[in-house]
Amino acid sequence: MTTTLEHTAHESKSKAGGFLRHLNFFTGVITGVVMAVIFYVIGRVTLDQSGRGFVDQLTTVTGVGWVIGFWLGIGALTGVGKWFIGKDQTHADEMYLAGKDMGKFRYWKYTTDHKVVGVQYVIVTMILLGAGGILAMAIRTELMTPGNHFVNPQIYNAFISVHGMLMIIALIVAVAGPWANFVVPIMVGARDMAFPRLNALSLWTLVAAIPLLLGSLCIGGLSMGWVTQAPISEQAGPGMDLFALAIITFAVSTTVAGVNTICTVLTMRTKGMTLERLPIFVWASMIAAGLGLYAFPFFLVVMSLNLVDRMNGTSFFIAAGGGTGWLQENLFWLMGHPEVYVILLPAVGALFEITTVFSRKPLFSYRTAVGGMAALAGLSVLVWAHHMFTTGWAPTLGGPFMLTTELISIPTGIVFLCILGTLWRGNIWMRLPMYWVFGFVFNFIVGGVTGIYLSDIPVDNQMHGTMFVVAHFHYVFVGSVLFGAIGALAFWFPKMSGRYLDEKLGKISFWLTFIGVQVTFLAMFVSGLRGMPRRYSSYSIIFEHTNFISTVGAYIIMAGMLVLLGAIITSWRSGEASGPNPWHSKTLEWLVPTPVPLENFEVLPVITEDPYTYGEELVNS
Amino acid sequence: MAHNNDTKQAVRSIFWIWLVLTIVGVVIGIYAPGWLMPKAASSTMHLVILTVIVFSVAAAPVAAMVYSIALYALVKWRWRGEGVPPDGPNLRNNTPLTAVWVIGSTVLTIFLLIWGLAALAVDDGGGGGKNPMTIDVTGQQWAWSFSYPGTHVSSNELYVPVNDKITFDVTSKDVVHGFWIVQMGVKVNANPGVTTTVSVTPDKVGTYDIRCTEICGLYHAFMVTRVKVLSDADFSKWLASQPSRA
Ligand code: HEM
Ligand SMILES: [Cu+2]
Ligand SMILES: [Cu+2]
Repeated sequence: MTTTLEHTAHESKSKAGGFLRHLNFFTGVITGVVMAVIFYVIGRVTLDQSGRGFVDQLTTVTGVGWVIGFWLGIGALTGVGKWFIGKDQTHADEMYLAGKDMGKFRYWKYTTDHKVVGVQYVIVTMILLGAGGILAMAIRTELMTPGNHFVNPQIYNAFISVHGMLMIIALIVAVAGPWANFVVPIMVGARDMAFPRLNALSLWTLVAAIPLLLGSLCIGGLSMGWVTQAPISEQAGPGMDLFALAIITFAVSTTVAGVNTICTVLTMRTKGMTLERLPIFVWASMIAAGLGLYAFPFFLVVMSLNLVDRMNGTSFFIAAGGGTGWLQENLFWLMGHPEVYVILLPAVGALFEITTVFSRKPLFSYRTAVGGMAALAGLSVLVWAHHMFTTGWAPTLGGPFMLTTELISIPTGIVFLCILGTLWRGNIWMRLPMYWVFGFVFNFIVGGVTGIYLSDIPVDNQMHGTMFVVAHFHYVFVGSVLFGAIGALAFWFPKMSGRYLDEKLGKISFWLTFIGVQVTFLAMFVSGLRGMPRRYSSYSIIFEHTNFISTVGAYIIMAGMLVLLGAIITSWRSGEASGPNPWHSKTLEWLVPTPVPLENFEVLPVITEDPYTYGEELVNS
Repeated sequence: MAHNNDTKQAVRSIFWIWLVLTIVGVVIGIYAPGWLMPKAASSTMHLVILTVIVFSVAAAPVAAMVYSIALYALVKWRWRGEGVPPDGPNLRNNTPLTAVWVIGSTVLTIFLLIWGLAALAVDDGGGGGKNPMTIDVTGQQWAWSFSYPGTHVSSNELYVPVNDKITFDVTSKDVVHGFWIVQMGVKVNANPGVTTTVSVTPDKVGTYDIRCTEICGLYHAFMVTRVKVLSDADFSKWLASQPSRA
């Protein structure tokens, strides 16, 4: 318990929090549903039913009702409301809001404590990955054999659309959500995030987006794939309205989260925590958040324009009305490519952190690592049209975009340099997190090299739109980012739960996943090389064997993920106790007690050196 | 001094692992693309396969270096004692090594870029042939149609003469489709409202595949057809035999 909290004990406990005492996730859902119904009824009564966009308007209005209702019902607007009527939160209110003395139930509430938010993000990420994973298994089951047997083409198209978007969202938050919230404030020596209430807002806004996305699957008509290319996204059924609204909601969530991370790092550092002494994961989180601030507004814009086209008959993306689908593609990929580095960078930062701790060595070439990540972020905003080489848009820009794309291999090489340099002559402690580091090194080479093939225009003219591309980005998303996310979970799990993530189950899960990834996606490369297009629900007999192998591999990955889930649940409940610093790390989050007290530090630490002093005694003695 | 010997030993072993992996990689790089990819039916496709081979061969030593260092570390530098390992050496940086690494990857990137630009310049769809021709391609949910300007002939399968440069003017009646001749290495999207172009010179008589590569709704997977490459004489015969659908 920190000293600043003492005086709260004297205040009357029953009043703290005020109205918020009655609000939680469940009231949020109820209010959300009620508001959705109200908005629906208002829409039915007031909107022009004969208009072409009526169904789209009604769907959108209903979805907006859900989001606003959920916000109201969970208490996201209570603080603002109070401020508006001239009442400010008391200190006791703030403490209530942070979840003080509330026990487990605080995880169901609009809670500002960054550690609670971190745990909530872990759960939300697992839900997203689980839902996306179920769809992945359905897709692979359909593709196990050449014809359409398991689902019909319409459902297949809906599945690939929602699978893609769920997984993109899951990976955007997989490392940054849990760990930029849980550990970054402690790493920089802060008592919480810069804006604790915004932190809760970002989480619960993300939660509000999930039913929209899953709802889009239920009301159907998703024929467009996750890239929502126009004009097919203009013709898709009403599911597309909720799909777009889900992404708009998500874009709000990530923007709020990104601002918060950046402000926390820039303004909340404790004395002596210079930028040079920041743990590398903090840099990674900050750079990724900054890149997200650039990227996600495009997401919001592209989906909004699409929605307005659908609802109101504008024609931003419709050639017949003077618009162009190429505008949609440009806006989408202006977001899309930076986004892959928003996804990658936090994972790389976490893996750097793990590598130093388990090699017992300083991070090799800290400044190069920071510079490399900054260069990745900087270049990533200049390469978007490599997704458009075959669209016919601006053929003369092919060369320049080939150049920028290939330049990315230089900072990508730096990532390898820093990891290998850190391993060099270390004393490598092969605990669970380290397995995922080696898995990452193996897979990211495959993903990176195949990316270079695709950046070459004649090759891309052959490969674009085929399973080769799908295999490429799954090597980076699953083989690299997901591996990084699981490594990060294994690494910080003891801090979050006070227990080790079960090593035995964890290693079984690693081997299943690692082998599954190779089987699935190597075979998928072959499908692509042989000429199988992507997003085909049915395919020629010549692709039969490689697809069957990919499906078997996918089941192996699923087995690995289920074992991991089992490990997480059993370890959370009854894993081996770890103590506050099981890995003997030197970053601040390991130097505070476990469980981490509210407000983290009794006395804020003063920093005199960076956390990578491994081996310095050897040098000095 | 012990450190120096350590390092020397490590470098020597890693070199040998690297050499073996590189050779394996180069062999795979040379043979796998030709074996796995469709047999080329145009000079464009030959260039694609050659590029995949060249890039694979160039990537092999790089990937092999990363893998050999990681493998050596995993086996030789693994801590086999109990509990937390003692600290390793305090190596914070090695400026010459970092410089070599960055310069090396830059040189390699420049090579790839030059190759790419050269390939782009060389590949203008192949030689002209005797009778270069244009064919209008229209995508429509979920079929392709091909019409031969100046002839009133139109067909759902594509027929082209061998060794003549064909320019495809591609468009769509509804949503975006992807026009791809698999064995010829050419692809361009069919967009509604605009015409995009792509050229290729088929260099082998035979039957090849056309597949749609942009998701276009329900029967996207069935938007496939064939291209028959015929000798000049056969092509003229086919054209003459077609009912004109003016
Ligand atoms: C950082 C990790 C990376 C991730 C997460 C990633 C992800 C993706 C994704 C999702 C796509 C396909 C999108 C779609 O069409 O649906 C894609 C395509 C592509 N990637 Fe990557 N990528 C990564 C790294 C790279 C690298 C290092 C390069 C090049 C050096 C690269 C080059 C390309 C190219 C050229 C395409 C376009 C292929 C095409 O659609 O024709 N990628 N990547
Ligand atoms: Cu990209
Ligand atoms: Cu299609």
